[in-house]
Amino acid sequence: MTSVHQLVPTISPRDAVGNHTLALREVIRELGFESEIFSMFRHPDLMSETHYVDRVPGDADALIYQLSIGSPVAERWARHPALKIANYHNITPISLVGKWDGLLAAEVQLGRDQMARYAKVCDHAICDSDFNKSELDELGYASTETIPVLFDLIQATPDPHALAKLSNNQRGTQILFVGRVAPNKAHHDLIAAVRTLRELHNDDAHLHFVGTDGPPGYRKVVETIVTHAGMREHVTFHGSVSQEELVAHYSNADVFCCLSDHEGFCVPVIEAMHHGLPVVAFDCTAVGETVGDGGLLLTDKSPSIVASALHRVATDSGLAQRLCNAGRRRANLFDRKVTRERFRQHLSMLLESL
Amino acid sequence: MSDSQSDASYFKEVVAEIEAEARRRSSSGEYPRALLRSLDEEFRRWVPDASLENGVEDTIRAIEAAAYVDPAVPVSSRTPMGRCVKWVVRRLTYFYHRHMAQQITALGIHITRPLRLLDASLKSVHRRLAALEDRLDVDAAVRSELVAGIPTFSSHEQFGEVLGAHFDKVPGRVLIGDLLEVQLLGTLRNEGVDIYGVASTDTSATEAVDVRHENLFDHLGDLQNESLGGFVLCGIPDRGSVNEQLRVFRLLLSKCKTGAAVAVIVVHPETWAAQLGPVAADLLHGRPMHAETWSYLLAREDASEVTVIEASDSSYCLVTANLP
Repeated sequence: MTSVHQLVPTISPRDAVGNHTLALREVIRELGFESEIFSMFRHPDLMSETHYVDRVPGDADALIYQLSIGSPVAERWARHPALKIANYHNITPISLVGKWDGLLAAEVQLGRDQMARYAKVCDHAICDSDFNKSELDELGYASTETIPVLFDLIQATPDPHALAKLSNNQRGTQILFVGRVAPNKAHHDLIAAVRTLRELHNDDAHLHFVGTDGPPGYRKVVETIVTHAGMREHVTFHGSVSQEELVAHYSNADVFCCLSDHEGFCVPVIEAMHHGLPVVAFDCTAVGETVGDGGLLLTDKSPSIVASALHRVATDSGLAQRLCNAGRRRANLFDRKVTRERFRQHLSMLLESL
Repeated sequence: MSDSQSDASYFKEVVAEIEAEARRRSSSGEYPRALLRSLDEEFRRWVPDASLENGVEDTIRAIEAAAYVDPAVPVSSRTPMGRCVKWVVRRLTYFYHRHMAQQITALGIHITRPLRLLDASLKSVHRRLAALEDRLDVDAAVRSELVAGIPTFSSHEQFGEVLGAHFDKVPGRVLIGDLLEVQLLGTLRNEGVDIYGVASTDTSATEAVDVRHENLFDHLGDLQNESLGGFVLCGIPDRGSVNEQLRVFRLLLSKCKTGAAVAVIVVHPETWAAQLGPVAADLLHGRPMHAETWSYLLAREDASEVTVIEASDSSYCLVTANLP
């Protein structure tokens, strides 16, 4: 039986790349190929259905490498004689993490180095976005294609306790951002924008951050800024939450705002659209093409401009409704069924010679 | 035109309107510039200079933590039988796993040791570079000669009582440095302040008072962050370069706990220049900073109750404040 395996540096069930890798394995198996996942760091919940990286069969026909960080796993993939496919999810530039986290900086630097070195050995690359594709094209990758990451739009019902807690004492506009607390996500810019919204537009707005902590130094600085800006009562870090709690956040918020400086795709934008939340985002890297015509895309994220945009969405119900409808239409384009089909067709064409 | 196309063009129009309106209001002064700028400045102020400072230390710690290998393999299983089998296997193979784990842990330690040496070496180079910068503007021998001519102000009689009250109920020990006047330390101890001194020059300190004879920068470099209840900065404001003054100020702030009380004894630049004469005033130009400058620096740190108290002869003053 023809084997098409995947290699990934780390696999975890509550992680975008991890979920994508598991979903892609099902697509490959449906195509009639043997497919397993090999990783160096495996989450305990996935031990039984994944394998340690040294078990990669020497006679595998094709190997797909999930490229999102530097790792010795990439070396195994590059040296293997099989057909080599890279699935690129983007690597945060070192300029955005170097000052905050030495270890992560070393890993992203290694990742960027590996990405450049493997341009010649990689037979084909699949990228989450055209932005990611353009990076690989620039490095000289001969064959590249854009297919979005595979993810499930959350269908869970909102956690009633979380929803009740969030709705309590809610006065002004509720602004939500979902993502790791990391410098490339620019939480500090959101705080500046919401403070400006409160002061210039007389809105008792509240900012909700959902997501795990990234570099500890960044979280500390963001907390310091919150204190210095007098925003301690108006900004909440909710940390990592369950699917039901996340849906409660999407249901409770009035607007989703993303001011990231670097994203390879940005799944939470699509999730927010799916839940009918108007999206305001800063148009940079892959954010613009993910938001598309489903949200307000700002070309400048000065606090006054972001605050004005948030105020407009909060006060213009007609605009908010159009954003909800447009967002839902946009989210449907990234529905897992659609993306699965695209992967199925693309892989069957790519692997038909095996 | 489809819904999607009409929405897209409508959203573009809305964004253009929002951006134009916000820019117009900002440029007309309708939006206070200070408000728009302040958080950006605030963020830049807190961004670490480079991972070469604490980043290296954190990174080495993370490697050390990761290098420790636990030979006790988890035995949890979905079935009691599986758990039992795993436990037996673990018992039988423990000697092997422990041997391997010890070797891997040792390898980790051997890797991090040279990294620690490199880190220490880099920090030493950094300190020496900073010291070199301080001395670049005027020849070191001339500088020491001129600095030696700066009189020591007798502040213990003037400010002893005020400082005693200021450091009452501080959250930890108080440091006084660079200590040139040991009587001030004695006075504050008598006032009940838990205080110790750091003196880079011989102050003829008696054994009765706690004085560390070392360079203040070296002492602060070895001190843990957030370990002091407060500080009295003296000596350096009238003898150090602006770079030294700002550096020691930043270091002292990083060593203070929340709610610490701080004080700076400042000589008036005019008095200083008049006492030293034109040669020293020219060559050591700009060294003492005004009390207003210290107040400004403290206010930028969100210090509260920033107070300036003049000495009776108006030749120097005391700036006190409480940190947030």
